[in-house]
Amino acid sequence: MMKNKLNVVWWVIGLLFFAFFPKIFGIYYTNVMVTLAIFSVFALSVNMLLGYTGLLSFGQAMFFGFGGYGTALALTHIPGIGVLPAIGLGVLAAVVLALILSPLVVRVSGTAFAMLHLAFGQLMYVLALKLYNITGGEDGIANFPVPGLFTESLKSSPEHFYYLAMVILGISTWLMWYVTKTPFGQIQVGIRDNAKRIDYLGYRVPQSKAVIYVLSAFFAGVAGSIYGLFHNLVSADGSLGIGMSFAPIISVMIGGVGSFFGPILGVAIFQLVDELILRYTESTELVMGVILIVVVMFMPTGFVGLYRMLRQKISARRTPEAKKEKA
Amino acid sequence: MNILETKDLKHSFGPLAVLFGVDLQIEEGERHAVIGPNGAGKTTLFNTITGTYHPTSGKVFFKGKDITGYKPHKLARIGIGRSFQITSTFMNLTAFQNIRLAILSKDGVRFNLLRRVDKMQRITQETDEMLKRINLYEDRNTPASALSYGKSRALEISMALATNPELVLLDEFAAGMSKEETADAVALIRKLTEGKTVVIIEHDMDVVFSLADRITVLHYGKILATGKPEEIRNNQAVKDAYLGDLEV
Repeated sequence: MMKNKLNVVWWVIGLLFFAFFPKIFGIYYTNVMVTLAIFSVFALSVNMLLGYTGLLSFGQAMFFGFGGYGTALALTHIPGIGVLPAIGLGVLAAVVLALILSPLVVRVSGTAFAMLHLAFGQLMYVLALKLYNITGGEDGIANFPVPGLFTESLKSSPEHFYYLAMVILGISTWLMWYVTKTPFGQIQVGIRDNAKRIDYLGYRVPQSKAVIYVLSAFFAGVAGSIYGLFHNLVSADGSLGIGMSFAPIISVMIGGVGSFFGPILGVAIFQLVDELILRYTESTELVMGVILIVVVMFMPTGFVGLYRMLRQKISARRTPEAKKEKA
Repeated sequence: MNILETKDLKHSFGPLAVLFGVDLQIEEGERHAVIGPNGAGKTTLFNTITGTYHPTSGKVFFKGKDITGYKPHKLARIGIGRSFQITSTFMNLTAFQNIRLAILSKDGVRFNLLRRVDKMQRITQETDEMLKRINLYEDRNTPASALSYGKSRALEISMALATNPELVLLDEFAAGMSKEETADAVALIRKLTEGKTVVIIEHDMDVVFSLADRITVLHYGKILATGKPEEIRNNQAVKDAYLGDLEV
């Protein structure tokens, strides 16, 4: 009972925080928050595969990119389309791509899975550059209309865009969290630990992997679509480049692979480091690289793992009995 | 009636033939042991029956139905379970979560994305009952990787039985166990397999002769003899090939 009430209080505080964020912190940090939210959803979609199912993909950017291009193309070519249908079409593009690839990719794992995605990801990148008539080539698609739900355009009202983006990204985060709590989420971690045993227990491994693969593409598509709207630009380098596939993996690793909220922490650290380093030098990758090396070598469960370990140590020192009871 | 039957089952790994036409017959409700020296093809026999490998030739029948080449998940659904010689549990999941995955499959909850699994009270209840029966309730929240050897073997066996199969194949369940652990495991199997058909691969002759109703001796990919324990004990060919040097 107490715990339930406490939870409600936290939810209310959280919602108020996000609701009044633009008023309190101003437009600059509002945009930082949108960026954080976009990359959190993107990193969470990677963690669905990597942390929960044990599948490392070097091509998650293609779903992110398809989300962005799909939405941009819809807004460019379909007159009078609303923002939500446009996002929906972008997400649909990502899902269709995942459905097409899934029969092939769910039958492999490990290195083959990673490399296949590297290949497909690069293929999509090159296609975006070459199919100039559709994708705008190197320039990408820019300055497409961004209609609001209640206003003509969201371009001049970043605050409205913030609310739209945060609601969609917030719901996405909740949905991804919920999936981990369902029976299907259990099968997922089972596949990660021991796919053979999952098979012997009576579950269809390839089909289960396909479902999680398509879900992951769905949420990557959501993130990509919002990203395109946010910048009012989608381009091969901005959405489909290899760096866009690696960034979420790094966030997941730094935050804590396998924990649900780890990737969000990872994205926050990533953005914070970026922000701080850029004041002194352009080579942010150098610093991120060093952090990644330290994390991989000394704290394989990321900052979330470190936090859990420290908390355990502190509580063990304070109240040995209480810990015993908990265990 | 035979619940499981193989007809002229052969299997080769490339040029290396391992099974040279095995005709195994398992009667419904019996506990049947497959014994034989190392390299006789016992595990390969299990693997060809349970879908790890597709046999090179020959047929497998379950309750008269041809199940040759069925995939493991399909076999699980028609009522065939198996455990592994090398412990094959979900290492990062707790004992509870391990058993729960078996219970979920048994109850046909396989693609549910809508309900929270911890709110499914029937599943939780069944899982806890199973944990109590196998004396792992105390270790409910211990990750499989942190269980003692005996307990992780018990978990391994129990996962094969928690899906409630009619026929279960246990591959060297007592491998590496101490005397006491083996005795516990035998008692556990007696308790959990009541009314089921059990096929075991086993090297420990004490276990074989205390548990099995019938025994099949496999020798270089062929069946040397099948029969009741005393028949096997007195079979000259078996003595010469295998049991002689074990002095049973």
